[in-house]
Amino acid sequence: MGDEFSAEVADLKARRKKNLGMGGPEKIAKQKERGKLTVRERLGLLFDKDTFVELGLLAHQQPVRGGEFDADGTPADGVVTGHGNVDGRQVWVIAYDFTVMAGSMGAIGEQFKAARVRELALRYRKPIVWLLDSAGARIQEAAGSTFAGTGYLFYDQVVMSGVIPQVAAMLGPCAAGTAYIPGLSDFVPMVKGTSSMSLGGARLVKAATGEEVTDHDMGGSQVHCYESGVGDNEVEDDAECIAAVRRFLSYLPSSNTEPPPYHDTGDSPDRLVTELEKIVPTNPRAAYDVRRVVKAIFDHDSWFEIKATWAKNIVVGFARAGGHAVGVVANQPMQKGGILDSDAADKAARFIRMCDAFNVALVYLMDVPGFLVGSQVEKEGIIRHGAKMLYATSEATVPKITIVMRKAYGAGYYVMNGKGYQPDVIVAWPFAEISVMGPEGAVNIIFNKQIEASDNPEETRARMIETIKEQISPYVAAGWAMIDDVIDPAETRRVIVHGIEQARGKKVDRPWRKHGNIPV
Amino acid sequence: MIEVKAELVGSVWKITSKPGDKVAEDDVLLILESMKMEISVTAPRAGTVREIRVKETEVVKEGQVLVVLD
Repeated sequence: MGDEFSAEVADLKARRKKNLGMGGPEKIAKQKERGKLTVRERLGLLFDKDTFVELGLLAHQQPVRGGEFDADGTPADGVVTGHGNVDGRQVWVIAYDFTVMAGSMGAIGEQFKAARVRELALRYRKPIVWLLDSAGARIQEAAGSTFAGTGYLFYDQVVMSGVIPQVAAMLGPCAAGTAYIPGLSDFVPMVKGTSSMSLGGARLVKAATGEEVTDHDMGGSQVHCYESGVGDNEVEDDAECIAAVRRFLSYLPSSNTEPPPYHDTGDSPDRLVTELEKIVPTNPRAAYDVRRVVKAIFDHDSWFEIKATWAKNIVVGFARAGGHAVGVVANQPMQKGGILDSDAADKAARFIRMCDAFNVALVYLMDVPGFLVGSQVEKEGIIRHGAKMLYATSEATVPKITIVMRKAYGAGYYVMNGKGYQPDVIVAWPFAEISVMGPEGAVNIIFNKQIEASDNPEETRARMIETIKEQISPYVAAGWAMIDDVIDPAETRRVIVHGIEQARGKKVDRPWRKHGNIPV
Repeated sequence: MIEVKAELVGSVWKITSKPGDKVAEDDVLLILESMKMEISVTAPRAGTVREIRVKETEVVKEGQVLVVLD
């Protein structure tokens, strides 16, 4: 009796050990040669020590289509699933194992294991993380018209959108339909050199269109984190990628029904930000790096920028203000003068909606000459793109604080949460300029006839410009109580923290609707 | 050889480099004016200015080559 018992347990242990060995020493060595960690090493970095609970370790390929199958050669069916803790909070994971059939998505791994994780993460309202390193669908199990029954994955992702945070960490290839996993996720860090994503892998592209290109050239981080905007943050290696995932999750609640976690950073809410004087020139034409402003205002070492290398004329990211998690939207005068264009509006709109979905307060740092105008941007559909940012800012019901630092021109003032967009606090710095357009442009339109008729047009123009300049002073807006105050820039941090605390119990009622129709 | 292009439409406000200048990465080559903002055009990497293809006050299009570096 005792012998049988221990023999059964020994058999179980042997089965587990085999599957924990992934695709075997040879495949693991190849994985390492590519500069990648194994799936289990990655999970070790993702979760707090000894908190990972695996579901489906003993799974393997099945004769799904009545064809051949390889139970021994497919430990866990190529995907490790389960949950663990990140900073003490439960997070669910679907981690592809490239050492097992190139991490391809098999019927068991996808339709049973990954589907179960999606179901449970949503049931418990906990974040879900994909560690992607996969050749895509396992074609031998997926080809044919039973494809008609697939696709639950993306449907589930859409249902989960805005309910639980979704992260797609790009640690290897991610080709074909699976590229929609990052496409639908809230955060997509990409490892430089080894990761890639594309709707069609290189071989499929060659067959479909004749184009010859590598997966890396087509969909590496140099494309998605710089040109397409599909990737969020480019990172150097697997460890940095997983650290970015943990950092991202630290600003978000487990679900949309909770507030984001508060961390006392020890940085006083009343600290005066005297260094702003050295960072921001009062000449509105002159550039500076707004990221220095952000770092100076918010809690020490709390700044986590998102999409830092794409649409650089606007800066977005998470920070903490007196310990509260905030989403920062800041114009960047150092890039394209901080002018808003199509990509900048897309980037900001997407970030604002993520913050609003997950109860993260928004802080707008405004210094915007307006939206770019002209024939090129009209062809790009800038009205449609700019409208997304208008929409996102209007729709957001989280606490919204607006600091008009320097320029607040035209629709730029609107999308950066001007007075009409229900800010909880809106203040300006003393040298701010608020107007539908700059004085030079305004004079040419309003006083064109007077200037032309004048004996000395240049002098008249200069006089008119001065008149307009007096009208764009923030003291005019403050005099009409259209802004709450004009503040010493050094007080900005205090105003933001107190504003967030003021708005903590915020409730906004809107008319019932199924959903709005955001311009996309 | 690298072609440094205009990121957006605007006019050339000030040219701050000349052919033969040795420049480091991020050095300002010229300044554009667009939407009433001064927009610095910088060297993407260290090199020598071979040619300046524009004149001050000239209006440039997005993607137009402004400076050629060796």
